[in-house]
Amino acid sequence: MTEYTPVLVLAAISGAFAVFSVLIAPLTGPKRYNRAKVDSYECGIEPTPQAAGGGRVPVKYFITAMLFIVFDVEIIFLYPFAVEFDLLGWFGIVEMLLFIATVFVAYVYVWRRGGLEWD
Amino acid sequence: MNGLVVALALPAVAALLLVVLRDMLTDRLAAWAGVGVSVVVAMLLLVTWVGGDGDGYVAEVDLVWVRSLDLHLHLGMDGISFPLLLMTALVTALVCWALVDDPPRGDNATPGLVGLLMVVLTASIGVFAALDLVLFFVFFELALIPMWFVIARWGDPHDPVGRRTAATRFLLYTVVGSALMLVGFVTVWALAGTVQIPELAALGAQLDGGWALFAACMIALGLAVKTPVWPLHLWLPDAHAKAPTVGSVLLAAVFLKLGTYGLLRVFVAVLPGPARDLAPWLGLLGVVGIVVASLACLRQADLKRLIAYSSVGHMGFVVLGIATLTEIGIAAAVFASVAHGVVTALLFFNAGSLKRRFGTAEISVLGRGMYARMPALAVVLAFASVASLGLPGLAGFWGEMMALRGTYEAAAGADGAGLGEALAAVLLVGALLGVLLTSAYFLRVLRRTLQGVPTPHDADTDLAGSERGIAIVLVVAVLVLGLVPGLVMGVVEPSIPAILGGAR
Amino acid sequence: MSAVSVQAIVGAAPSPIEAPDVDYATISPLLIILGAAVLGVLVEAFVPRAYRFVTQIAVAVVGVVAAFVATVVVGAGLDTVDGEVTGRGGPTAMGSLSVDGPAVVTWAMLLFFGLLGVLLFAERRLDGGLSAFTSQASTPPGSADERHATRLRIEHSEVFPLAMFALGGMMFFASANDLLGMFVALEVLSLPLYLMCGLARRRRLLSQEAAMKYFLLGAFSSAFFLYGIAMVYGYAGSFGLAEISTAVSSQIGGQNLLLAGMALILVGLLFKVAAVPFHAWTPDVYQGAPTPVTAFMAAGTKAAAFVAMLRIFFVAFGGARWDWAPAVWAIAIITMLFGAIASIAQTDVKRMLAYSSIAHAGFLLVGMAGLTSGDGVTSVSAVLFYLVAYGAAAIGAFAVVTLVRDAGGETTHLGRWAGLGKESPVLAVAFTIFLLSFAGIPLTGGFISKWSVFAAAWDGGAWPLVVVGVVASALALFFYIRVVVLLFFAPPQGDGPTVAVPSPLTWSVVAITVAVTIVLGVLPGPLLDLVQQAGAFVR
Repeated sequence: MTEYTPVLVLAAISGAFAVFSVLIAPLTGPKRYNRAKVDSYECGIEPTPQAAGGGRVPVKYFITAMLFIVFDVEIIFLYPFAVEFDLLGWFGIVEMLLFIATVFVAYVYVWRRGGLEWD
Repeated sequence: MNGLVVALALPAVAALLLVVLRDMLTDRLAAWAGVGVSVVVAMLLLVTWVGGDGDGYVAEVDLVWVRSLDLHLHLGMDGISFPLLLMTALVTALVCWALVDDPPRGDNATPGLVGLLMVVLTASIGVFAALDLVLFFVFFELALIPMWFVIARWGDPHDPVGRRTAATRFLLYTVVGSALMLVGFVTVWALAGTVQIPELAALGAQLDGGWALFAACMIALGLAVKTPVWPLHLWLPDAHAKAPTVGSVLLAAVFLKLGTYGLLRVFVAVLPGPARDLAPWLGLLGVVGIVVASLACLRQADLKRLIAYSSVGHMGFVVLGIATLTEIGIAAAVFASVAHGVVTALLFFNAGSLKRRFGTAEISVLGRGMYARMPALAVVLAFASVASLGLPGLAGFWGEMMALRGTYEAAAGADGAGLGEALAAVLLVGALLGVLLTSAYFLRVLRRTLQGVPTPHDADTDLAGSERGIAIVLVVAVLVLGLVPGLVMGVVEPSIPAILGGAR
Repeated sequence: MSAVSVQAIVGAAPSPIEAPDVDYATISPLLIILGAAVLGVLVEAFVPRAYRFVTQIAVAVVGVVAAFVATVVVGAGLDTVDGEVTGRGGPTAMGSLSVDGPAVVTWAMLLFFGLLGVLLFAERRLDGGLSAFTSQASTPPGSADERHATRLRIEHSEVFPLAMFALGGMMFFASANDLLGMFVALEVLSLPLYLMCGLARRRRLLSQEAAMKYFLLGAFSSAFFLYGIAMVYGYAGSFGLAEISTAVSSQIGGQNLLLAGMALILVGLLFKVAAVPFHAWTPDVYQGAPTPVTAFMAAGTKAAAFVAMLRIFFVAFGGARWDWAPAVWAIAIITMLFGAIASIAQTDVKRMLAYSSIAHAGFLLVGMAGLTSGDGVTSVSAVLFYLVAYGAAAIGAFAVVTLVRDAGGETTHLGRWAGLGKESPVLAVAFTIFLLSFAGIPLTGGFISKWSVFAAAWDGGAWPLVVVGVVASALALFFYIRVVVLLFFAPPQGDGPTVAVPSPLTWSVVAITVAVTIVLGVLPGPLLDLVQQAGAFVR
C-alpha cells in the first residue's frame, strides 16, 4: 500500500486545486457580460437557430478534425520508431513504411474524393 | 443390386422426373406413371422378399451415412415390416389409379400431386425399412411435408380456411410429437452408444432405469400422436375429413401405420424394460380410445369424419394388442394394421366417390335408399362397413379377435404378458363393449343411407371407371385377408420373437 | 519500450531489439483480404467513375478467391499437435494469432460467406441498373441533392472495400490469440458494418436509424468487452489466452476480478451474437440495413463472434468452466425460447429472419455447453458445422428477400408475400428449403447441425438444454410453417408480389445456398469430417 501513497497524495492535491480554482474565480474575478459570452459554444461562428439547408450541420469541421486525429495518432507511432530506428533494423523500416503507406492511402482517398475542399 | 434400395429410390426418382417434366405430361399420363411406379415397387418388394433366405433381415444393407455422428444407411425388412411395405405400395398404386378419372383441381396439377405421393411412398418405405433410429426419424419427418401440401392444396374445395387449418394442425401435432421422439432417440443414443436397431434390440433388457424410462416415454408420446392414441388423436378427424380422397386414403392406410410400426420396432423391441412398465398405460389408453371413438362415431354427421373416428377405434385395438406383449397380441397388431389399411382405404374411396358426386359427405345430404339409387356403390359401402366392424370371414375380424385373445391370455395370467390379470380383464370388457358400439354405429350409417325409401338425387351415378376397378381390387384383398389370414400370419410369426426377444 | 529507450539515450550498450518473427505465409489469407481492402480504397480514389463499380467487384472477388486458395494451402500444411488436446497448427506472429484447425475452417467459411455477399452487393439489375446502395450517403433522404445524384447514376462502390475490411476483421477475430488483438479485430469488423447498414438506397431513414442503433449498441458492447479485458488483465497480468489459462487453472487469487472480467467479456460477445437479453438491436438492424448487407452480416458476424467466444471461453477460461457454464445455460434457454416465441408475432420477413437468427444463437450456445474434447462430436466441430449450415441458409433467405419486390423496392411485409408460390414457384421452393433448414427438418443442413449440437451438449451433460432446444425448435416450426402456408396456399393480396428478374449473380447465390443446404442435409459426412479433423483450439 505504501508505494501508492504518493499517488493518493497527488490525486488529493490535484482534486483540491480543481475545486479551489472553480470556487475562487467567481469570488475574485470581474463580471462583465456581453452577448457573445452567454451564447452557447460554437467555434466562434455566429450561431443560427437552424443550419442552412434544412437542419443539417455542415461536417467540414469534423472532416478536418478527423484528418488531424489520423495524422496525430500516426505521430504517436512514428516518434518511438524515430528514437529507436537504428536498433530495429530493416524489419522496423519495412514495417514503418508499410504503416505510413496505409495511412497515406486513406489520405489519398480523402484528397481525391474532395474531402479537403472547403466548399 | 439390392431390391429394397431400388424400391426406395425408384419413387424418389419418379417424383423428380414428374416435377421436372410436368409441362410435357398430361393428367392421365402422370396418374398412370404413378400407378406404374407403385406396382413396380410392389413387385420388387415381393421378389426381394421371396428371394430372401428368411433368416434375420431380408435385403439388409448397412452403409455409413455420416461417419462422425455414427449414422448409417441401414435398411432391411422382416416379417413385421414386409406386409406393411407391400400394403403401402399397393395402396399408393390404387390412389394414383383413382387420379386417372378424378384429376385434382388446377391446370395440369396431377404431375405435382403424383410427385408428392411418390415422395410419401419413398418416405413410408424408408420408415418401414429403416434399421437406424435417425434414419427412421428422417423418413418419418420426410413423409409429413408432402402430405401436408396434399391436404392444404387439394383438400376440401368448399372450405379453404378449414383445410389449411386442418393441414397445419396435422403438421404441428405430428412435428411436436416427432420432436419429442427425437429427444427419446438422443437419450437412447447417449445410453447405448448406438442407433442401430438390431444392435439395440440385441442389448435387450440392458437398457433400463430412469433414463431408459424417460426415453421410452418420449418415444411413446411421439408415436402415440401419429398412431393416434387417445387423447392425442385431436388432429386426426379434421385432417382426414378435409383431405382429398387420395390424402384420406394414404393417411389412414399408411400414415397411421408409421406410428404402430414404430411402437413395435423402436418401442417394444428397443426398450423392452420400460415398454413393460408403460404397457398397462398404453393398453388403458387404447381401450379408452376404442370406446370414446365408438361413442363419437355414433354422433357424427359427416361420413368422412365418421370413418376417421372409426380409425381411432381400430388403432385402439392395435395398441391394445401391442400392450399385451404376447405373441398373439403382436401378431394382432401387424395383422390389424394391414387389414385396417385395406378396409379403411375402401371406405375412404367410397366416401370420396360420394363426396365427388354430392359435394359433401354429410349423411343427411346423401339421402336414403342407396341400394336402389346406386347399387354397386351401396353394396361396396355395405361390404366395407361390415368388414370394418369385424364380421368373421372378412379382413377386420382377425386383428380384433387376436387382440382380444391376447388380452384374454393376459387376463388368464399368461407368462410375460404386459398387462396384469385384473387390468387385462377390465380392458377385455371395455374392448368388447367397443366392438358392440362399432357394430352399432356402422349399422346406423348403413340404415340411414343404404336402406329406406329411395330419395333420388341428380348426382346419383353408380361406380364407374377406375372407381369400379379400385373397389374390385380392394374387395378381393379384404376377402383374401379374411379367408386366408395365414398368408400374412405365416410371414409375421417368424419375426415376432425378434420384437419380443428383449421383453421376455 | 520506454525503459529500453532511456537506456539507449543514457548510452549503455545499445543491443539491437530483436525483430519479431512473422510467418507471413501462414497468415497470408488475412493479408490478402486486407490488401484487397486497401487496394479497393485506391481504386475508389483513382479509377474513373464509369469503371469503378466493375473494378471494385473484380478486386473483391479476386481477393476473396485468392485468400480462399491461400487458406486451403495453409490448412493443408498445418502440423498435428498432440498435447493436452489434439489439434492442428498453433500460434504464430509472436503468439498474437493462433492459426489452428478451427481458425482455418472458420477462415474458409467466412471467405465463402464473403464471396456470396460480394455477389449480392454486385447485383444491379433489380433496381433499374442501380445497386442496392444509395448514391450519396451524405444527402438527406428525399432531397433534391439525392435525386440529382440518382439522375447522374452515381454509385456507392465503397461497400466493397468496407466489406473486405469487415471480412478481414472477422477472420482476425476468429483467430486472435490474445484479448487485445481480439478487441482490435472486433472494432475492425464492426466499424465497416455500422457504415454499410446505413447505405440503403430505398427506405433510407430506416437504414440510417439501423446504422445509428447498431453503432450505439455496438459501441456499448465494445465497451463492456474492453472493460472485461481490463479486469482479466488485472487478474492474470497478461492479455495472452495461454497465460490467462495458466493463471485461471492455478487460481492465483482475486477470483472476483476474474468473475467480473469473464462476465463483462461474455456480455460484449453475446451482444455480437445477438443472444437474449442483448438482442434488442437485431430486428431493427436486420430490417433497416440493405438486404445484401444483412445477409453478409447475419452469416459472417455470427460465425466470427461464435468462434472467438468459444476460443476465449474454452482456451482462456476453460479452467473456470463451472463459473461460466451456468450463465451460458441460462442464456441459451431464454434465447432459444424468446427467439422462437417472438418470431411467431412477426409480420415482416426481415424481422422474422432476425428473430430466427436470435433463436439460432441460442442453439449455438447449447453447442457451447457441450464437450470440449473427446472422440464424439465436440462442441467446436458441432458449432462450426452449425455455422456453415446456418450461414448458407441465411444468406440464401436474404437473397430471396432481395428479389420479391413492388413499386417501392423490396416488399418485406409478410402479407405481400402471399401467393409467391404461384408467381415464382422456384423462388418459393428455395425459400421453403431455407425455412425448413432453419426449422431443422431432416434432409436439410439444419437437421444435421441441430443433431450434432444436441449430441455434443448431451455428451457434455447438458441434457436440459437439449430438451428445451427440441421444444423451442418445435415452437419455431409453427412460424416457419405459417410462412410456407402463406407462400403456397394463401390468396395473393391485390396483384400479388412481383419477382424481379435478377442477373446471374443473385441466381447463383440462391442456387449455391440451396445446394449447400441440401448437400449438408443429405451428405454431411465430408464437412463433418473436416470440422472434426480441425480438432480443438491450440494456444
